[in-house]
Amino acid sequence: MKRVIEGSHAVAEAVRLAGVQVISAYPITPQTHIVELLSEYCASGIMDARFLRVESEHSALAALIGAQSCGVRTFTATSSQGLALMHELLHWTSGARLPIVMAEVNRALAPGWNIWTDQTDSLAQRDTGWIQLYCEDGQEVLDSMLQAYRLAERVYLPVMVVLDAFYLSHTYEPVDVPAEADVDRFLPRYEPRFQVDTENPCAFGQLVPPGFYMKMRQNIAMAMDEALVRFDQIQEEFYGIFQRRYGPVEAISCNDAEIILVTSGTATSTCRLVLRKLRDRGEKVGILKMKLFRPFPVAMVRKATSRAKKIAVIDRNFSFGASGIFAQELRAALCNTPGRPPVFGYIAGIGGLDITMELLEEIYWKTKEAAYPENESVWMGV
Amino acid sequence: MELDTKDDEYMYSGHVGCPGCGAAIAMRFTLKALGAKTIVVLPACCWSIIAGPYPQSTLKVPVIHSAFETGGAVASGVRAALDVKGDTETTVVTWAGDGGTFDIGFQALSGAVERNEDFIYVCYDNEAYMNTGVQRSSSTPYGAWTTTTPGQDWKKMRKKNIVEALVAHRIPYAATANIAFPEDLVRKVQKAKALKGSKFIHVYASCPTGWRIPSEMSVKIARMAVQTNIFPLYEVENGNKYTINYKPKEYLVREYFKLQGRFRHLTDRDLDQIQEMVNEDWEVLLRKAAERV
Amino acid sequence: MILQENPFPGVCGRVCPHPCEGVCNRREFDEAIAIHSIERFLAETAGRYDLKPILTRLAAKKQRIAIVGAGPAGLSAAYFLALLGYSCDVFEAMPEPGGVLRWGIPVYRLPLAALRSDIANIEAQNVRILTGQKIGSEFLQDAAGRYDAVFMGCGHSRTVKLGVPGEKTNAIENGLQFLGQLRQGNTIPLLGVSAVIGGGNTAIDVARSVIRCGGKAVILYRRRRRDMPAFEEEVQMGIEEGVELRELVTPLGITTDGAQYTLTLQEMKISGEDSRGRANILPDEGKTRELRVERVFKATGAEPAEDWYNPPDKTKVSLTLSHTILISPESGPALAFGGDLTNETKSVAHAVASGKQAAMALDIFFHGGMEAIVPKLAECRVGQGPSLSMEMYMEGSRRLRNTHVVSYEEINTDHFQFQPRITRPRLLKEERRTSFKEIDLKISTNLAIREAERCFNCGICNQCDNCYMFCPDIAVIREKNNNERHINYDYCKGCGLCVVECPRNAMTLREEDI
Repeated sequence: MKRVIEGSHAVAEAVRLAGVQVISAYPITPQTHIVELLSEYCASGIMDARFLRVESEHSALAALIGAQSCGVRTFTATSSQGLALMHELLHWTSGARLPIVMAEVNRALAPGWNIWTDQTDSLAQRDTGWIQLYCEDGQEVLDSMLQAYRLAERVYLPVMVVLDAFYLSHTYEPVDVPAEADVDRFLPRYEPRFQVDTENPCAFGQLVPPGFYMKMRQNIAMAMDEALVRFDQIQEEFYGIFQRRYGPVEAISCNDAEIILVTSGTATSTCRLVLRKLRDRGEKVGILKMKLFRPFPVAMVRKATSRAKKIAVIDRNFSFGASGIFAQELRAALCNTPGRPPVFGYIAGIGGLDITMELLEEIYWKTKEAAYPENESVWMGV
Repeated sequence: MELDTKDDEYMYSGHVGCPGCGAAIAMRFTLKALGAKTIVVLPACCWSIIAGPYPQSTLKVPVIHSAFETGGAVASGVRAALDVKGDTETTVVTWAGDGGTFDIGFQALSGAVERNEDFIYVCYDNEAYMNTGVQRSSSTPYGAWTTTTPGQDWKKMRKKNIVEALVAHRIPYAATANIAFPEDLVRKVQKAKALKGSKFIHVYASCPTGWRIPSEMSVKIARMAVQTNIFPLYEVENGNKYTINYKPKEYLVREYFKLQGRFRHLTDRDLDQIQEMVNEDWEVLLRKAAERV
Repeated sequence: MILQENPFPGVCGRVCPHPCEGVCNRREFDEAIAIHSIERFLAETAGRYDLKPILTRLAAKKQRIAIVGAGPAGLSAAYFLALLGYSCDVFEAMPEPGGVLRWGIPVYRLPLAALRSDIANIEAQNVRILTGQKIGSEFLQDAAGRYDAVFMGCGHSRTVKLGVPGEKTNAIENGLQFLGQLRQGNTIPLLGVSAVIGGGNTAIDVARSVIRCGGKAVILYRRRRRDMPAFEEEVQMGIEEGVELRELVTPLGITTDGAQYTLTLQEMKISGEDSRGRANILPDEGKTRELRVERVFKATGAEPAEDWYNPPDKTKVSLTLSHTILISPESGPALAFGGDLTNETKSVAHAVASGKQAAMALDIFFHGGMEAIVPKLAECRVGQGPSLSMEMYMEGSRRLRNTHVVSYEEINTDHFQFQPRITRPRLLKEERRTSFKEIDLKISTNLAIREAERCFNCGICNQCDNCYMFCPDIAVIREKNNNERHINYDYCKGCGLCVVECPRNAMTLREEDI
């Protein structure tokens, strides 16, 4: 049923539909609408879940680590400082192979205080072993949340569903909220392969000697690789029921594109308009929308960019002392390919600054004019 | 020694605790009181090591190792999961050291007990960061040497009164216990098990390695801590009903201090001052216990 | 298990002055365990429920042994020899066995039934008691061939002479005889004042019996009260009952006017103390007093009734032990002497000790000769005194015990709580004055158990399981039978906690021999 709802509410609806059993969260703008709606659902009995109103994001994730260890489906949501505070436990979650799903609303990190969108918070957690899914609109948010549980519970790795602050979290859009029965077909009850059980007492997360430790870390790496494969399979199943699917990347008009603009999040929507405008003027431009950031879909990126002459990556984030993070990843993915195109890095929309059509057009023309990038990163709109 | 649960054993021999480890004794008694239907949440502490390396375990109950500061939170999650699964039988117990309780884990503990999560939090207190090699914590007593309070820089601050901090949360049950008083310890754990809501038990667990005492003295010294009023045995129900469980023999604290290498540097004047502090704390406790009568 | 070590628990539980309580470690904590009362309780309980212990007995041996005198020494010797496998004949002059226990000690201290119960148990061990058999000096020659050894335990039954003018006029009665008459069941009504001369237990017994016969009693003793050989507790009770004690007087002469006797008493003065702390006394010249009384009893020391009872001069092969003298003549049976004949302290406990020591010594003698006796006995010693254990002699489990005598300092008193010793129930002194009823009353089972629970069990594991409970490494193993504990050395880290936390010092920590 189509409803006009906020991106935050799309998250909450997905959590409801997934039959999450334990929710644990700490409020932070702009994540609050998610937990407020879930609180109401729990309070009114719409959801049969325990909601732990913990005293910090760190404890929010810690509580889920405890709950998920006991074999129940869990959820938390956070943003920015909250995610940074969780950092230690992000590693813990993947190391413990707990399929926790989190909604992460991209917000800039302080100081100075800034509540608007910026991807640095989530991208800075790229090495924590979490699968990261970036979303463009409310529908994708809801669908990604449901897919996230399937994926997480298949490969025993946690999943972060990422959405832009305000542009997505607080924006009302028509979203098809599926029927429970359909969701149940796609996402059955969670049947954990292992859980804490007094009948079969085991130690979880104990001291591990180097040999075992390295093997366990390799297992996580293999699970990440598997996630890439499973992601596609899950999309097909999802499509079978809901007639919607999302690739790890979405290549738009890339087949004949000379310049490919690489985007993520809501900036992609703006870029789609720019693409239409430029195409109308005969420019051979394409868009590569990055949805799956971890595991990074190297093969798909290579394939989509194989015919391009130049690549322009729009990063709403920055790794100080290096460059935009998507740009880094693109360069790394392409460096071992023959005849690789130059990768232009553009930093845009930091701290919630609008990424306008004009800005994206300017990026296109700048890229077209230069043979090679003069700098790794060009800061736009400052 | 008379214990109903004397024969119940939930620990294996062969763990890597130091000789005379008070924390090992504390765990043994606690699990005897709790039984098999127990899940232990174990934030970083000596017991993270004592519990044994993969693929072995020292305990016969499930253990969830957790990050240092998460004892209260992880247990909250475990309890929530058990609740939604309809498991009301299993007891969730967080087993944390003084660092994980007084210091880094205090926030999560405070949060969990403020929410009155239904679990038992046991702090086994060896009065410093022992697992990392004897660094001072806010539980380290006034006067103690540690590797981070060496020489004349011995700790000049008083030990945090953790039980009173928990009592201030008005939890259903807070108590002190001591490895030298097993019957009392087991009774308190069993009492806590029977109550709903958050229960806190502060267990004095001596550390021969960190306190610079002979391993065979670890229980003796623990007992002296009670006998001297340094660590009174008492319990507090609902944040206001105080019961003192042991009328101490009022030995001088001097006797307790002079047996321990960590206090070797203290002068008679220092010890007199400490005696005054102990007397003062005891008076305060007596007043609290008496007010109810 | 008292009966493995002492055939007279009923007797000793009443008349023994219990020096054991004086060295009980608990004394330094609160009060000594009432061992005496518990011993009597056990004897009575065993008697009441007809409980027969399973005693260790050795296989029958061919040697036969004659015992002269069925007093505590003779009966003990016979009892222990019987346990060791010998057949024994006990010869007793009196019509009933018991010696001083039967004919000396008054019934208010030792009722007949208690004595008979202990003796019945001795007889049950295959001891033949032949009463009314007065033995003459020719017996030792006659015994050759019939017996391989003779134990002499005839005791001291003849009161020594005072050497006072007037003594021969029969004015002075014999205290021991007086007690004997009473024990034969005679009623002797007394009026007026009786003087009792002496300071030993006999003097006290006589004086207290006089009171019970309706008279008044004055004890005349040449030294001070604290020098009296009598048990202090007995003296105290006598005084409570009305016995008057005059210290530092000795009779110089006795005269009679037909109705009363007049004693001339020399006052004595103290001139220092001897090595045992007793007062050295001298007549305080010129100071005499007179005392008019209705009767006079002498109850000074006693001696063997016949000279040949004593051990002969040590010209032959002989061995003098703490409580026994052993003689191996060139021909004829070996001779052992015990009881009052050899003991410096004339008590039932010492008599039993001499019987036990003689039994062991004879057994060793038969197997290994004289020279084997001392080393073998040394292996059976309990504690640092002369006490010997029959259980250890018979290779019982007590041998496995650490021989170390635990001192009070070695007790971990943290594991004990102050608890007063039981108060022994007694007849009121008013009741005591008018009857020969036993003074000390039975204690209840509850009291006895409570008292026994006060025992530290010094050096002896009583499965309190402190070691098991406090072991951080679960390395103390409890056997399924629950009677034994052992250390699992695979897991013991040697922290020593168990040793310190053992309340009773029943464990030790020793470095491993490599």
